[in-house]
Amino acid sequence: MSLQFAPILEQWPYLLGGAWLSLQIAVLAFACGLLIGLFCASILRYGPPSMRRLVAAYVTFATNTPQLVQIFFLFFGLPELGLQLSPFAAVLIGATFNAGAYLCEIQRAGFASVSPTELEAAEVLGFSRPQIVRYVIFPHVIRAMFPALSNQFILMTLGTSMASIFGVEELTARTANLGAETYLSVEAFIVAAVMYVVMTLLATSGLAAYGRMVQKRP
Amino acid sequence: MTPAGHFFSYYDILLLGRGFLTTLALALIGCLAGCAAGFAAAILRTTHSRTPAPVRAALIAYCMLFRRVPFLVTLMLVFFAIQSMNANLSTFAVALISIFLISTAYLSEIARGGLESVHENQWQAARAMNFTHWQTLRLVVVPQAWRVILPPAFGFFVMFIKDTALASQIGVMELTSAGKVLGNKGLSAALVYGTILLLYFLMSYPLSRFGKRVEGKLAAARNH
Repeated sequence: MSLQFAPILEQWPYLLGGAWLSLQIAVLAFACGLLIGLFCASILRYGPPSMRRLVAAYVTFATNTPQLVQIFFLFFGLPELGLQLSPFAAVLIGATFNAGAYLCEIQRAGFASVSPTELEAAEVLGFSRPQIVRYVIFPHVIRAMFPALSNQFILMTLGTSMASIFGVEELTARTANLGAETYLSVEAFIVAAVMYVVMTLLATSGLAAYGRMVQKRP
Repeated sequence: MTPAGHFFSYYDILLLGRGFLTTLALALIGCLAGCAAGFAAAILRTTHSRTPAPVRAALIAYCMLFRRVPFLVTLMLVFFAIQSMNANLSTFAVALISIFLISTAYLSEIARGGLESVHENQWQAARAMNFTHWQTLRLVVVPQAWRVILPPAFGFFVMFIKDTALASQIGVMELTSAGKVLGNKGLSAALVYGTILLLYFLMSYPLSRFGKRVEGKLAAARNH
């Protein structure tokens, strides 16, 4: 078996466009998931018991079922109930639904890491409410959550590859197309694997740099 | 599309049951094999002098790379590679190999973290008592490390049950594929995929509850 990479590498703008779309899906789902997760984590902490149970049920359900089947349900099941989603919308909603649950767990643990004695100390020192959030809670939470958040983002970037199953033209789908056109599927998927590695390495180092910046600012 | 009025027949339920067991077998066999290989890789990485540096570098690179490639891409890569080698393997075997490749990388990282959680002093003390490297590992380090290794390893296994859904893409007849077949037969997609979601939940939820309980117990035992 001899590998021929040239015909695949010639198509790099096509693949790079796919990688860009993968990254966009991941960032969009992560940003929406972060908001949902923040909302859910606040409910778990401060909400009434009935709401808390509802959120807990959502998190348990979403984290114990495959994202792929959730998207299958959204894409094939919902039209029967009268809601037709585009492939991109189904994938994005599925990814966000999943991300919200995982990010809720992460943020809940992050908020739990602030000890009440520190809040009392800040109050004694005459910090205002926004000051407490900015100078006491935020540095703690960000430090506790950052590794988990960045890990979750990497997992989500890898997870976007399942969008290809629904016909979203991201990196995996474009790789499969190229492989089918050139009969060089092995080479195409090796190139895609390398691109995913580079993409996630860039994301990790970017996030780590951002994390250092956020934590250093007084 | 036929009207979505049917419910599951006896054979549909049989298909779902078989898919359920296939999913469980994929995750279990793949992760157990990955656990063994990952643990071996982690132990090789602890032998600084005996394992040649290129081998250790290759192991580190392997763990780094395979945790950064989507499972679907690994699956396709293995699928097409085996096809181009004209090896006559079932899709189940292809999925199993892919799961093995990925789980080895993840579990080796988990095992390495566990082994490194044992303080350096323990190694030095064992060496002072004239333990060999293997004796140190077997009698000193691993008995302390497994408490740290077990919870995340179990968590990975439970997580991977869900990822095996992607094996439906290469045609393994597991739970998700069973759902696709039933959907194509004309049953209501909402009913079929709702059931599939429920079945995955029934598989994953008790295991993750069990994992949390074990984790709590081990953490309590460690803090004594």
